[in-house]
Amino acid sequence: MSDPNTPTPNAPTPIARSPIAPINPRVENGWEVSDARSTAALTIADETPLAKVAVRAPFAGAIAGLLGVGFGRAARGPASLQADGLPEALVVGSGPGEWLVLAAPGTSPAVRQRLEALIAGTGEFASVVDLTHGRALMRLRGEDSPAMLAKVCAIDLSDDVVGNGAAFRSSVARLVTDIVRDDCFDARSAGAARGDGVRSYLLHCERSSGQYLFDALLDAGAEFGIEVTGSVRAAG
Amino acid sequence: MMLLTCPWCGPRNSTEFRFGGESHPRPRPDAATPEEWRDYLYFATNPRGWSRETWYHGSGCRRYFAIERHTETNEHRAIDERRAAEARR
Repeated sequence: MSDPNTPTPNAPTPIARSPIAPINPRVENGWEVSDARSTAALTIADETPLAKVAVRAPFAGAIAGLLGVGFGRAARGPASLQADGLPEALVVGSGPGEWLVLAAPGTSPAVRQRLEALIAGTGEFASVVDLTHGRALMRLRGEDSPAMLAKVCAIDLSDDVVGNGAAFRSSVARLVTDIVRDDCFDARSAGAARGDGVRSYLLHCERSSGQYLFDALLDAGAEFGIEVTGSVRAAG
Repeated sequence: MMLLTCPWCGPRNSTEFRFGGESHPRPRPDAATPEEWRDYLYFATNPRGWSRETWYHGSGCRRYFAIERHTETNEHRAIDERRAAEARR
C-alpha cells in the first residue's frame, strides 16, 4: 500500500491544502492536516478544513429568522439546517446581513445546497457562497487566550463584552479578522462537568493571510507557552 | 489614539476606518449647473466645529455611515435627522 501522504499523478481525489503549513502532515477527509498533538494549556490549531459557507441576505428578513442568530452572535444549530442528516453547524452573524456557516470538513456542498433550498423558500434576495478554500480558520484554546489576543487586538475581550457565543470583526495583528468566541466543552476541558468551558476563539481571515496570522499568533503566544496542535475537534 | 463609534460595531480604533469626507446634499442631476457639481465633488467647507462626515468601517462591518464630528475636539455623535433638517432650513 502506498504512502497516503505522497500524492500520485493518478490519485482519485485531489488533496486540499490549508494555507498554513502543517506539522507532520497526514491526509484526513481529503485535506492535508497536521498530525501534531499538544496538551499545552494554550494551543493553536489550524481548522481550515471546516466547511465555510457565507450567506448574504436582508438584515432582518425571513432568512435571518431561519438562521437564528443576529449580527455579533454565533450559535450551533439551527434545526432547519440539520435536516437531511447534515452535521451540526456553527452559524456566525459575522456582519450586518452577513452570516458564515461552519460545519464538519467535506460537508460544504451539502451545507450550501441546504442553505440554497432554505433561501429559495423565502423568496428573498440572497446569496450563498462556499468560501471553504478561500479562507483560513484557526482555533485558539486556553485560559490565556484573551491575554494573548489583547496583544494584537484592540477589542475588550472580557466576559461582559465578548462572552461565549459573541462574534465580531476587527483588526488582529493589523489584519481584518473575524473572531468568534466558541468555548470548548469537551472532556479534556477542566470544569466541563460544571458547565464552564475552556476559553476558545475561532479566527477567520482571507486565505492569503492565513500563514501570517498563524505565525503572528504563535509569536504573540510565545510568552504564554503556546503550542501547535492538530484539529481540536479530532483531539477532543 | 482616536476612538470612533460605528453605529453597527460600537467604539473602535480609528485605524479601522477610512475617512469618506464631508457629506453634503447631492445636487439634482437634472437641474444642477457645472459649478454646483464642481462644488459638490471637489470642495469641502472644512469648518472649525461640527461637521457631517462619511466614514467607512473597512476592518469591521464594511459599511458606510454618517456621523457628526467636532473637528477641533474629535467628539462625535450620531446624526439627529430632525436637528440636521432644522439646521438646513
